Amino acid sequence: MAAIIEKRDFRDFDWQTLLIALLISFFGVWQIRNAAPDETYWSKQILGIGIALVGFFFIAFYDYRRLIDLAPVFYAVGLFLLLLVLTPLGHESHGQKAWLKLPVVGQFQPSEFVKIPTVLMLAKYFGERRTSVLRFREMIVGGLIFAAPIALIMLEPDAGQAITYFPILAAVFFLSAIKVRYVVLAVVAVAIFVPTAYIVGVKAGVIKRYQQERINAIIDPDSVDPRGYGYHTIQSVITVGKGGVTGIKGDTETSQSVLKFLPEPHTDFIFAVTAENTGFIGCISLLLAYAVLLTRMISGAREASDRGGMLVIMSIVCGMTFQIFMNVGMALGFLPVIGVPLPLMSAGLSAILSTFIAIGFVVSVKLRRFVN
Amino acid sequence: MKIYDHVQNLRARVGTIQILVFVVVAILGVRLYALQIVKGDYYSERAENQRVRLIQIPAPRGAIFDRNGKLLVDSRPTYNIVISNEAFKSIDPRERVDDYSRGLALERQFVVERLNLLKKQHEFESMVLKENVNIADIAWVEAHSLEFPELRVELQPRRNYPLGTTLAHVLGYVGEISPKQLEQDEYKQKGFRPGDIIGKGGLEQYYDEYLRGRPGYRKVMVDSRGRVQAELERVEPQSGQDLVTTIDLDLQLEAEKRLSETPTKRGTIVAMDPNNGELFALASAPSFDPNIFVTGSSTPEGRKQIAAYWQDEKRPLYNRAIQGRYPPGSTWKIPESLAGLQQGAISVEKSNLVCGGGITIGNKFTRCMGSHGAPPLSFAITKSCDGYYYRLALKMGIEGVIKMVEDFGYDKRSGIDLPNEKVPQTPKSWMPYVVKREGKWSDIRTVYSGIGQDTVVVTPISMLHAIAAIGMRGKQYTPHLMREIKPIAAVGNEGESNYFPARQGFLYQNTEPRMLVAADDQWDMIIKGMWGVVNGGGTAGAIRMANFEIAGKTGTAQVAELGKDTGDKKDHAWFVSFAPAYKPEIAMVALIENVGFGGSFAAPASKGVYETYLAKRNREQPSDREVAAR
Repeated sequence: MAAIIEKRDFRDFDWQTLLIALLISFFGVWQIRNAAPDETYWSKQILGIGIALVGFFFIAFYDYRRLIDLAPVFYAVGLFLLLLVLTPLGHESHGQKAWLKLPVVGQFQPSEFVKIPTVLMLAKYFGERRTSVLRFREMIVGGLIFAAPIALIMLEPDAGQAITYFPILAAVFFLSAIKVRYVVLAVVAVAIFVPTAYIVGVKAGVIKRYQQERINAIIDPDSVDPRGYGYHTIQSVITVGKGGVTGIKGDTETSQSVLKFLPEPHTDFIFAVTAENTGFIGCISLLLAYAVLLTRMISGAREASDRGGMLVIMSIVCGMTFQIFMNVGMALGFLPVIGVPLPLMSAGLSAILSTFIAIGFVVSVKLRRFVN
Repeated sequence: MKIYDHVQNLRARVGTIQILVFVVVAILGVRLYALQIVKGDYYSERAENQRVRLIQIPAPRGAIFDRNGKLLVDSRPTYNIVISNEAFKSIDPRERVDDYSRGLALERQFVVERLNLLKKQHEFESMVLKENVNIADIAWVEAHSLEFPELRVELQPRRNYPLGTTLAHVLGYVGEISPKQLEQDEYKQKGFRPGDIIGKGGLEQYYDEYLRGRPGYRKVMVDSRGRVQAELERVEPQSGQDLVTTIDLDLQLEAEKRLSETPTKRGTIVAMDPNNGELFALASAPSFDPNIFVTGSSTPEGRKQIAAYWQDEKRPLYNRAIQGRYPPGSTWKIPESLAGLQQGAISVEKSNLVCGGGITIGNKFTRCMGSHGAPPLSFAITKSCDGYYYRLALKMGIEGVIKMVEDFGYDKRSGIDLPNEKVPQTPKSWMPYVVKREGKWSDIRTVYSGIGQDTVVVTPISMLHAIAAIGMRGKQYTPHLMREIKPIAAVGNEGESNYFPARQGFLYQNTEPRMLVAADDQWDMIIKGMWGVVNGGGTAGAIRMANFEIAGKTGTAQVAELGKDTGDKKDHAWFVSFAPAYKPEIAMVALIENVGFGGSFAAPASKGVYETYLAKRNREQPSDREVAAR
């Protein structure tokens, strides 16, 4: 590997992107500690960041084009892992069989990682030099590449993870010259389909009662039974609101998470913890940090030397943006409660590792912007 | 953009995504502004409200003692297992029913009822699942604190009636304030809340405001499952005031024993100091166990027992001494004798009236039990001559009888310090109804009123109230059970929110006695007659005591017509008395339901109480001087 890293690599290496990612991660460690001061989640998260950095540098200095070439192998391994989850080797928690417990490696969540092979696979397929608009056949193949992991994840079932795959496909299609009219059509379809599906789903009984209540909690939080399934949303909104302008300044004894009013504070609701502890100032700073990080990644895509690299970066950007929107929207009480982790913030080795690997790709693409 | 593409405006598409990123951040920022800056204070308050909780510290009620300091009622610490409503919010009750009923040995159905109640009543912070639990139950809750965090063990003083059924009608019982009471202004103004314990019946109710303590509270911080994390503030409760009664437990036990030895085991004995109205004993049989009402309402067996009390034909919950109304029969002749003398219908010099073996009114003959010639008043009392009193009543006229009712206070409550006392019914109260229905008040009704039947039904306490005044030669004191309310010290620091000022103690304030005015020789004549009832070969000669001269009067209250008065329809037996005859220390009324003639059961029952009294007095106060000093 030392042979691959040349002096030039250090000169062109995007240290700033890494720095922002690390800043957000350690801000996250602080919040994880605020969420559960008596637990060891925060120290495990530091360890996780350490491991993630190793993965990051490995990917960043490796030639991403070779990895894209190998995409079918990674993709096959990923699907195999997702299959393994469904076997007795899989580990169940909160009613979802989403984890694998392997010797040496320990416990991890394949659905977090399989995003990357999926991105690479799509990048490989759509990364050829484009001469025409997106063809129907290409859409079918892309859809199939995408559908295989989604189907397996839905079997766990983990709708929250599955939903984070959609923006990847959307980004790839959008940037592979799909006709604008299709884009408009898709947006309109979603705008009509989502409410319709909800109403039909309720009537047909497909949408379960707790799911309904979670949605009602957003539409009209005051009328919802605060003891029922709206509880998470209401507690999260209270926690965020309580933070005010500057937050509770370390008074964790009365914090919503320490008193256990806020559920899952160190993972799904880490943003609410941030809001309670650092207030509006902290939250806006965090959102701006995300904006800067994503913008730097997009600028990397603009400078990419090939389509594959560009597609890898942009699908990662869209995936992360979508996750941030879903997670923070849930914490702020205007999106339903779905278990989507907040990138770089939520505690969890799988999530932090896969995110750093993804950023590693971005840096790798940027690093090779002058190579042809 | 380096990648050269003909077919798409890639730069614009990437730019679109960049804009999308900014839009997302902007949406989230606006929402954050709304929650944290616009409504920050509101959510801050909501967060505080859900984590800060007031937990009441119940105050022990005052204890109740007899006149000699013997304990009648106290409160003992017990442990309850309660469910915290806040923590229970996110739990499906169906998941818990089996665990609770198995772990705490509760009936499944009862657990279901309790949990349903909890789900319905949002305003309650917690609900008692099991009362008065044992060590095993506490251990079970503590061992399962992780699985069932909604359960906790709470200390609660529980009212305890160590004597069980003894004195139950006097003491009453306590229970949770009813939803109906909560709506009444009287309780609303005093700030009662659901779940508060108040006195129900008896002294517990009458002196509730003194017996009841002032609850304290703890302001605590709790987590989402209602588990206390820290105490923020604590206000100690102030106990209630102790109450010393006038009851002498020994006499009470004797009276109850005597009642239980009668054939029907139904009746009442009330003994009083005629010199001041202090009640030594107030027994009503059958009785009930107040403990059942304190502990029973939360268990199915207890509720069954309470229902059984209410449905029992023998009416154990009813205090016969103050709520029972019976025809006074011949005991009525004593007040009537005084009224006859006062009103001049008869005089000391010329008190003879014809017996005639009975009297004919219209074409109906009403007989006397014997044939007594034309006896004087004392003899008529001693032998209980009906014929004499038929004629006395006619001479007095119904106006005279009504005047007597008013003079003796039969038209009012006696004023005993117990709730729910009934007012006797007399010709005074019946007059308007009878005249309305029959057009006039007929002589036969006057005749019957002369022997305490027909339009006369009185409470035993009203009879005692009257007869004690005869013994006292006119001084009529209000019967009462409270002797002293003890003081209680202040709690907390003056001027602070946790301060409860001291509460004063006080003694029973006897008002000036009512006076019945008559001449000494008139009193002598009546008392002589009553003395003769016991000591001069009268209707209660069997209970004569060598060293204690009882003056009394038997009575037989007719329940059914002559000839049908058997079994359950037998007459009620009365005996009213005081002793010693010419310097009374104790007055008594005994009424035994459905046992027949007054001399046969009511008088012997009274004698037992007199013997106990005498034995006690001779032991405690041997010197005559002390006795004379009373």
